[in-house]
Amino acid sequence: MARESRPLDATPRAASADPVSNFRRSLLQTPGSQRRPQGLSASGRKNAPPTATPHARAAFRTIDSRRAAIFTPHRARRKSVREARDSPRDLLLGLGRILAKRTEPIVTSSSSPGDTPNHNPSDDDDSHETTLGPFHMSYDDDDEADIPKRPRLSLPIDRDDDSGSDDLVPHRSMLLDNEDNFTMQSVEMPRRAYSEGPGGRLSLNSTRMSDFFNTNDMLHSEDFGRESGMFPPINVVEEEGTFTMADIMSPERIEDGRRDTGHESDFGIHVPVDLDDQTSFVINPDVQSSPVRQPPDFDEPDFAPLEDARSDSYDGGDGMDNHNFDDFGDLPDAEMDDEEPDNTLNETTRMTAGNVTETEVLTHAQRAELRAAAAARKKRINISKHGIQYPSLPTGVVKRLAQNFAKTSGAKGRITPDAMNAIMQASEWFFEQLGEDLEAYSKHAGRNTINESDVITLMRRQRQINPQTTPFALASRHLPRELLQDLRMPPPVLSKKRRKASEGAVPAGEKDESVT
Amino acid sequence: MPGHKLYPRATVKKIVKAHSNCSVSKNADVMIFLDYMLFMQNLVKEASIEAKKGGERGITARSVKKVTADSLAKFKG
Repeated sequence: MARESRPLDATPRAASADPVSNFRRSLLQTPGSQRRPQGLSASGRKNAPPTATPHARAAFRTIDSRRAAIFTPHRARRKSVREARDSPRDLLLGLGRILAKRTEPIVTSSSSPGDTPNHNPSDDDDSHETTLGPFHMSYDDDDEADIPKRPRLSLPIDRDDDSGSDDLVPHRSMLLDNEDNFTMQSVEMPRRAYSEGPGGRLSLNSTRMSDFFNTNDMLHSEDFGRESGMFPPINVVEEEGTFTMADIMSPERIEDGRRDTGHESDFGIHVPVDLDDQTSFVINPDVQSSPVRQPPDFDEPDFAPLEDARSDSYDGGDGMDNHNFDDFGDLPDAEMDDEEPDNTLNETTRMTAGNVTETEVLTHAQRAELRAAAAARKKRINISKHGIQYPSLPTGVVKRLAQNFAKTSGAKGRITPDAMNAIMQASEWFFEQLGEDLEAYSKHAGRNTINESDVITLMRRQRQINPQTTPFALASRHLPRELLQDLRMPPPVLSKKRRKASEGAVPAGEKDESVT
Repeated sequence: MPGHKLYPRATVKKIVKAHSNCSVSKNADVMIFLDYMLFMQNLVKEASIEAKKGGERGITARSVKKVTADSLAKFKG
């Protein structure tokens, strides 16, 4: 815009020291001519040969701007930076002015407010602004015949207001290019989004993947690739013509394409993949809890030990059913669903079913518990998965514990019998889980006996023991003195324990070795 | 607690023995019961929180059942 009018500037440059004079001249002359003289004075370098070609002039301007940026004091530099920051806004303003030419009312409205905000941040003197405003408007009125000139008028006045604006002119030209890049980048963002949008491609990719994997050995893969039209590069390669290249490249590029798509559309691709995993992870507890309770309730009448069935079915949720099937002939039918935890579909269906029927299940469970409670009053005999009978923990002990902890946790000590039954079940499950874990640890250590070291390893893995809390501290907090003495009884073992616990995490294998 | 026997040691040993199919060393059951106490503490605490959240008075079967899975998972070795 300003460049076209530059050759006219030669005469006014020397004289343009005062902004007021500039304005008067600007009335007579094109506005673009006035800026330059100021710019030259402001920049360290004053010589831009008037005879230079526009490109050379632009080069000089860039050099001048750099020098000005180096030599200008901090305040002016800040201004320049601010201009740089504002430049995108200026771009938009200029664009708005250009677009606004065609509609008259918008032109006046946009030009007048557009001027004032520009003045406020950039101007040194407000008086100039106020004086300038009316001049500006008069210009617009005079120049209405020439539509294209209006934006020039508005822009130059802004620059006139800035004493150091001459530096800024090249800045803008500089920034325009850079900003074009930025705008291009900003424009690309939605494009990426669109590319992600057909994220259906992901599924398509997967299908294509399978196709290619199937056909990697076969030469037909090319055809599939073309049909799917997976990505431009493949097509380009094929267009370039060497089928051998295409053959060699196709599988690799497909894989690359996968990876690339994965990188490009991180959100698109990863989300569904993660969602599958997440659903599996997140849902699991619910899935375990809700459906687990169904089978035992229905199957309970067959079994005298109620809690066994439940505990087994619960562990079935964890995927340890195999033993349970051996022990209980009837349960497998009900637990067939639990046998396949890997299938997300089954899980989701189970999820919905579990959520819907959870309340009903609970009511069933409660009834069953009442029934079971009556039976449990009698001496009950539980059978573990190893086929070993074992007694259940006396209810009184558990109740005392629960009440104590309930008091300490703030709730009232009262625990309903239903809740007591639930706690008993939980403790049953807990002991079964604990037995299995301890078995695994002791077997891993090559022992057939569960040692205290195994228990301590378990507690460390449960994060009950850490460098801050030693097992002895826990024991002294919770256990009565007699049991503490029992714990202390073997001094060497306990000292080892304590030392290791205080030292921090010690690999289980190490510890087991040392103990054995 | 102080006056009573805290828990029947033989019973705990039998339970763990039956589940693990291993023998339990002489004093390991103390640590096991300590772990069980921690579990109970966690369970009851979570259940009471859940009960408060659900607007129930004391700890109910619903709150306990709702919390059981989580606390069991927490105590999975």
